[in-house]
Amino acid sequence: MLWVALELPELPLQIVERAGASRDPLAIAEGPPQRPVVACANAAAKAAGVREGQAVAAAKALAAALRVVARDAGAEKETLERLAAWASQFTPMVSVEAQGIVLEVESGLRLFGGHARLTAAIRRGVRELGLRAALGIAPTPSAARLLARGEAQGLRVRGCFAAGELPARLAELPLFLLDWPEGTLARLADLGVLRVRDALALPPEGIARRFGPEIADSLARLTGRLADARSPYVAPPRFRARLELPAQAEDVGALAFPLRRLLAEFEGALRGRGAGAQRVSIALEHDRTARTHVQLDFASPEREAEFILAIAREKLARLALAAPTVALELRADALLPYAPRASTWLPGEREQALDAERLIERLAARLGRDRVFGIALGDDHRPEKSWENRGQTPISKERNSVDAGSGIPSFGNWGLSPVFGPRPVWLLHVPQRLLVQDGEPRLQGALEMRGGPERIEAGWWDGGEVRRDYYIARNPRGETFWIFREHRDLRAWYLHGVFA
Amino acid sequence: MKRALEDLARLPGVWLGGELEHVVREVVATGHAELDRELPGGGWPLGSLSEVLHDEAGIGEVGFLCGALARASEGRRRIAWVSPPHLPYAPALVQHGLALDRCLVVRPVHREDALWAAEQSLRSGACGAVLLWLPNAPAEGGEYACLRRLHMAAQAGRSMAVLFRSSAAESRSTPAHLRVALTRRADALELRIPKRRGPPLVEPIALVAGWRSRTAPEARAAACVPSRVPVPADPPRALPRIAA
Repeated sequence: MLWVALELPELPLQIVERAGASRDPLAIAEGPPQRPVVACANAAAKAAGVREGQAVAAAKALAAALRVVARDAGAEKETLERLAAWASQFTPMVSVEAQGIVLEVESGLRLFGGHARLTAAIRRGVRELGLRAALGIAPTPSAARLLARGEAQGLRVRGCFAAGELPARLAELPLFLLDWPEGTLARLADLGVLRVRDALALPPEGIARRFGPEIADSLARLTGRLADARSPYVAPPRFRARLELPAQAEDVGALAFPLRRLLAEFEGALRGRGAGAQRVSIALEHDRTARTHVQLDFASPEREAEFILAIAREKLARLALAAPTVALELRADALLPYAPRASTWLPGEREQALDAERLIERLAARLGRDRVFGIALGDDHRPEKSWENRGQTPISKERNSVDAGSGIPSFGNWGLSPVFGPRPVWLLHVPQRLLVQDGEPRLQGALEMRGGPERIEAGWWDGGEVRRDYYIARNPRGETFWIFREHRDLRAWYLHGVFA
Repeated sequence: MKRALEDLARLPGVWLGGELEHVVREVVATGHAELDRELPGGGWPLGSLSEVLHDEAGIGEVGFLCGALARASEGRRRIAWVSPPHLPYAPALVQHGLALDRCLVVRPVHREDALWAAEQSLRSGACGAVLLWLPNAPAEGGEYACLRRLHMAAQAGRSMAVLFRSSAAESRSTPAHLRVALTRRADALELRIPKRRGPPLVEPIALVAGWRSRTAPEARAAACVPSRVPVPADPPRALPRIAA
């Protein structure tokens, strides 16, 4: 077994600063309301002399502009759980710890190309989420956590890959990095036991008798002498993440950066489940009650952050915000199986079809659903009904539905039935009444009939009855039109198409 | 010297003024042999912007390209119709040999959206051809830059980009590598090539209009009248003259 531990000692601060670091001094306060103390402080506050453990009143005296935010244990736990969901793309065994998470990675080492690449990928991914984490890698979860804490303290630690090397690797680490009670640590310090090496040198029975069996067990788990079972974190079957913005965003453009962070988290969590989402909604929170909802619908389940961000950008750019935004929320309630897209050097037909789906999504996101559509033949002789608006049905789906059919070709599959006469490339949505002079229609000059009449008589069964004689007519400029007259009134001529 | 020139002319994008560019780029045959002969590379270019200039609507300005469109859409690539002046009529497209499931109609409201949609379609690589009409295009300074962007996008997506505009644009410079001007004379579509990679084609060539070449309209139309349809009570008195 090989475990990777991610420790986030500055988590309370990072939650506040995730959507963008502030340049003003900022501190997180904890403890009783009568005398709150500083739990974490950002770089600007530390430069002003604010330290952890200081009273907030003292810190405010040092930095007048200090912004103090109360520590939110609920938000910390939620952030760690979301981090665990994100990390499930690397391994199914992720467990949430006090100030971080641990991942069992040995089973996936070959897949990710070795531990060096895997840890690099994890570190990069955590950065993209807007978090900073120290990373430790060791054969036991406790040792991995200890190494990660050592790294967070600025100690020089190296990963350990064999259980036999563990005592030597951990030897120099101070005992206070372990989650032991303060009293125990103090008594050990009185004995001169300060480092892991000193504790390991003591007989375990003696430790158990003097400090309690849990301390002895903790040491045994550290070195792998005792099994250290963790229960894996199971993410809920939906995705929901919220991010508060560091400052009120007046402009929609300022939302792209925090949104990217949320989408990186989204992609990781869905990758871990092998899922995608067909509907993603983004809520822009303006204040306690006012929200703007933006909904993204895709033709097939999606999860790639870059693609969703591009679609969301188009949608957001169309938005006029009534009020500045203070927080963003990303939700996907139904997670569906995801078919990964292969990126091949020479795209084949399948890839072309998927590219086309994405193109249609993108166009529809900006222009509106009704402005991007495919066309098909309609089962009707009336010209205005012999085509159909297919909407945004992707080709691949349509093909499946044809396959699923009994193989009986429909009207559309035959190509065109041979009784059709020539049809114009352009059809007018509404036939246009033509000027009539001396009983003959005119359109920029006298029209000369070149073909017809083609009688179209249909629709008596549904009330939309049509009885028309269609002609192909050409004017002196050489423009060819498709015109008709109705049997009701033979003197009225209409333009219905253009032979472009 | 001559040798050196010949070597030079063998480079892609370099050609002698008196002849057509001979380096074979990606082209698709238009289905009109007389037109293919006059196009550099022997067909309509993929991966570049071209312009079709015409003033009249309904002279077969789209139909003459359908052969090229059908070939550009091979391999399940799409044909995007971006802000066409009217609805592309499905039965007619089938008659012209286009596969309807490849056709994508995009009707943006604004000119900027039309340019954006065309660029996205070209760049995506999913479209074999993008046909673009620009509503009330003003002769503004940014026009050349816009078209240049489209040209670059067409290059990136290896797509055939065709911009339909009025012949007034002929006097304005263009980044398009090919410009075709259409007029109608009698039954034929007359085609000039004011710009191509080679000398301009001043003497027009005549093409037979697309719908005529594929269907015999009179014969089909006659076959179309159902026999059982009652003759209208008031038979058409002054039936307009019908050309033989």
